Amino acid sequence: MNGYSSILPLMAIMLPFLAAFIIALTGNKALGLKRVLAVIFTFIPLLAVILLFKPIIENGHIVSYWLGNWVPEKTWAIGIGLEIDAFGLFCGLIITLTCFLSSIFSIRYMEKDNGLEKYYTMFMLLTASMIGFVFTGDLFNMYVMLEIMTFAAIGLTAFRNHKYKSIEAGFKYIVIGSLGSSLILLGTVLIYAQAHTLNIAQISAILHGNYNAVTIFALALMLTGYAVKAFLVPCHTWPADAHMSAPSSISMLLSGVMSKTGIFGIIRILYMIYRSKCVAAPSMEFLMIFWGTITMLIGASMAIIQTDFKRLLAFSSVSQIGYVIVGFGVGLSAKTSVAVTGTMGGLYHMLNHAMFKSLAFLCAGAVLYRTGTTDTTKLGGLAKKMPYTTVLFMISLASIAGMPPFNGFVSKWLIYQSTFEAGYWPVTIIALLVSVMTLAYFIKLAQSVFFGKIHKEHENIKEIPWSMRVPMIVLAAVCIFAGTFWNVISDKLIEPAAYAIYNIQGYIDVMFNKGYAQNMFNHEIPIPKMTRAMAGYWSPINWLLLFVVLIIGFIVIASLLSKGNKKESIIDLSDTKYDTFTGGEKEYFSHMAGNDLFWGLKHQFRGYFKTLKNAHSGIVNDYVLWVAACAAVVTIYLFAVL
Amino acid sequence: MLLNYIGAFLLIVFGLYIILVKKNLIKIVVGMSLLDTGINLLLVSVGFRPGGTAPLFMNDLKPGSFFVDPVPQALTLTSIVIGACVTALALSLVIKVKEHYGTIDADKVRRLNG
Amino acid sequence: MDILVYIFNILIFPGFLFCFFFGLLLSGIDRKLVARMQRRIGPPVFQPFYDFFKLIGKGHIIPRGAAKKTFMLAPIIGLLGVVIISMFIPIFGYVFIPRTADMIVILYLLTVPAVALILGGSSSGSPYSGVGISREMVTMLSYELPLVIILLAVGSKVGHSLGEIGNVTFSLSKVAEYQSKNGMLICSLSMIPAAIAFLLCIPAEVGTVPFDVAEAETEICEGPLVEYSGKYLALYKLMSAIKMFIMGSLFVALFFGGTGFGTGIKFLPLNTLLMMILVIITISISVSFLRAIVARIKVEHTLKFFWTVPTALAFVSLILTYVTTL
Repeated sequence: MNGYSSILPLMAIMLPFLAAFIIALTGNKALGLKRVLAVIFTFIPLLAVILLFKPIIENGHIVSYWLGNWVPEKTWAIGIGLEIDAFGLFCGLIITLTCFLSSIFSIRYMEKDNGLEKYYTMFMLLTASMIGFVFTGDLFNMYVMLEIMTFAAIGLTAFRNHKYKSIEAGFKYIVIGSLGSSLILLGTVLIYAQAHTLNIAQISAILHGNYNAVTIFALALMLTGYAVKAFLVPCHTWPADAHMSAPSSISMLLSGVMSKTGIFGIIRILYMIYRSKCVAAPSMEFLMIFWGTITMLIGASMAIIQTDFKRLLAFSSVSQIGYVIVGFGVGLSAKTSVAVTGTMGGLYHMLNHAMFKSLAFLCAGAVLYRTGTTDTTKLGGLAKKMPYTTVLFMISLASIAGMPPFNGFVSKWLIYQSTFEAGYWPVTIIALLVSVMTLAYFIKLAQSVFFGKIHKEHENIKEIPWSMRVPMIVLAAVCIFAGTFWNVISDKLIEPAAYAIYNIQGYIDVMFNKGYAQNMFNHEIPIPKMTRAMAGYWSPINWLLLFVVLIIGFIVIASLLSKGNKKESIIDLSDTKYDTFTGGEKEYFSHMAGNDLFWGLKHQFRGYFKTLKNAHSGIVNDYVLWVAACAAVVTIYLFAVL
Repeated sequence: MLLNYIGAFLLIVFGLYIILVKKNLIKIVVGMSLLDTGINLLLVSVGFRPGGTAPLFMNDLKPGSFFVDPVPQALTLTSIVIGACVTALALSLVIKVKEHYGTIDADKVRRLNG
Repeated sequence: MDILVYIFNILIFPGFLFCFFFGLLLSGIDRKLVARMQRRIGPPVFQPFYDFFKLIGKGHIIPRGAAKKTFMLAPIIGLLGVVIISMFIPIFGYVFIPRTADMIVILYLLTVPAVALILGGSSSGSPYSGVGISREMVTMLSYELPLVIILLAVGSKVGHSLGEIGNVTFSLSKVAEYQSKNGMLICSLSMIPAAIAFLLCIPAEVGTVPFDVAEAETEICEGPLVEYSGKYLALYKLMSAIKMFIMGSLFVALFFGGTGFGTGIKFLPLNTLLMMILVIITISISVSFLRAIVARIKVEHTLKFFWTVPTALAFVSLILTYVTTL
């Protein structure tokens, strides 16, 4: 695996930063220029990522680039190195694609706000720092990029500062987020104190076999810090407020993509820096799977009792991140074939979640744009006025519930299969149950917002403009494509990324000359074989054919059997036979929505839901206490088992 | 040398304590700043070498000069800047909170809950 | 030639026509049995066929507040889902699509008809249907848990003896093979609690008393289906009938499977006849018998019931499987 030097990653990081500064210089004028710059400079990183496909994925190189040409001196790294393997490219693809689509959506969505140069500046900063985070190979650089990302996200959350919820959410985000970043910094400091270098590849080579109490403590701190960024329970309290208050084109980035950067950090730490301690270690496997399961459960339970559209979607994100962490937890297992399946499931779910959650947030944004509210108790019946949005939301619903021709099914199946084969059958049962709960709250959203009766004040709304529909259609198309042509995605994206996660030797060798890792590790490190471990040899093309044949059959039968009434052409809709049946009672406005749904479930578990609801009290000190308690528990656990 | 580490540790613990216990939002921001300061002190102390001089690249440099480690000093500068930015952003948010809510007590700034 | 066989399989057997015919026949037999148990004469056995053709011929009214396209598409999607499931279930060793891992696919596809009902009710825009779909969702949540555990129990028993990775198999065809070699699964003691739990889950899936709170005729005027009429209502009734057939044949495939009652006969029409008889017996025990003697229970009690009794039975089965294979 020889290194391949390319300037593309540097351009992908630097150009959005440049765009941020240019946009900041334009001030209040030239809105069109700002929009064009934003779209172009988010498209260029996407292009760079696509151009990097050929060397990284097809030829199997790992791209490296030493900034300022400070190459390693006597096999000691002295400069900042960018190192992109297939896993980094995979995350980079998700990030650049969603940022590009978000910039297109922002064109019309943000037209009613002012101060847009600040919006676009922070947006470009967010894009650039996320790309920088996944492309870097230096530990402190990761921290710096993470901080820029956090600032930009906080600024964007508090962007609409005439609303109280943005300010409150921004404040809670900055307290909890900076606590997480401080924990990461503390971990970085401790690792530097032991390894005296900041290059990830070199650290993993040096630390191999030399783990002492300081490095274990650093592992615990960094895990908790990245857990705050990736919102695992109990550090999950900030996204509920932040995603609710941010503009929707930003919520999709915060929820769909920034959580993936947190998971990227966790993977780099567990699978690369602490490789020999964590991979094939049952105690770490148990920790990650347990953490993921709790996250799944609590995220789904909190989502069922919400009434605000975007807050519910934020808790749903928490739940889906639990799935991803369970997948990667199984990837730490000692049985290699099961581990590979788990890692592939986790990776695929990362991709799927970014796609369908972004689509759901964009639908929420569309509803907010036209009606001005996201409160489910005040919305209803929008399907007749906004048909495109409804269809796209249904696609997102089917994907997240895991219906077969869509993408959620593939990744969830991988995760179920891998957890059961790893021996954690309670997790499979809980995962299936959470999947049904996910379906439940999405149906609650569909019924409350899109179906039912329409309120008087929303009677005159129109469908959203085309420039806002295009990103949603692209995301829906990716959902359907990833579900039916899963073997293409698995070959091109998932398997190389999973291989790259385990390929620590190649990662280290790229930085230095060949054989360095072998010297350090004293032996050849085995990489598990990637097989198409999905035992589902069902081919989705067959499914599509089946569907098409069946639909044709139905249409034929239905049209043969009906009598073809021609007199239905003029329907007088004010005739009372078209009213809703109310059993003879006088009709007044009655719409089952919001918290009226699922009464049976909420009544049966009222103690549980009440405890959860009261626990999320809204006080910032409580939330910080949870993060601190999580750090303490993880530290104690790691010291006990490692 | 040990004093530095104990001082850093105490600062971190105090900062965390303030964020956990105090209800006034400005005090919480002060606590965040204290936490950052503690970590910066720790970072600088890590690079210390007994008998070393300041790592300045001057013209009359002899081989065999003994510096303290310059990398943590660079990292600390970055971290101080980041800490200043966080404090500025947090304080401006506190001003806006006062505008909207009329109070800066954390127990009352909780309209988003549940 | 292959294409012709393919199309024959989809449209006639075990696809469209076979499902239609047998599902409606099962529904009719169920009504007749319940009537006789309640000392009435009851409708003729072919009554559902007459109802179906009558409903297709009638006109339909789409209410003003309904979302039209979803309203019209929902029954078709539901029917597609059930027909696709029917192609997965092995009929005593003959299975149309022999795929290796399909229990999870069936589990997911079983949610499609319920979701179709929910979407149909949702798009009607009526408050009765709102209450109905909420109850339907809670019922679905309640029976999914024991169903998952039952499938895991059966899968791990077969998988352990076949030596699969992780001691589980998710493939119905492998379950059928195992049963043709080692006898029916219902004869092994560790599977009996799972069979009883499955029998209890069938009425909830199909939507009959005592678990039909979603479609309570007396309380919420048929819940999700309140605004449906004409050919769409016919499609929903058909979907319900085919679901009865599917659950029955799933039970037979899981617990009475193998080839020809363990006799090893591979003659397809005879096997089909045998399977039909077993399905009729299953449905009459789990659906008709319960329907004749108990009343409808409330939605919160449905949740509580399913998460205690069948779940406990299925867990007992899972634990017994682990214990006997240690």
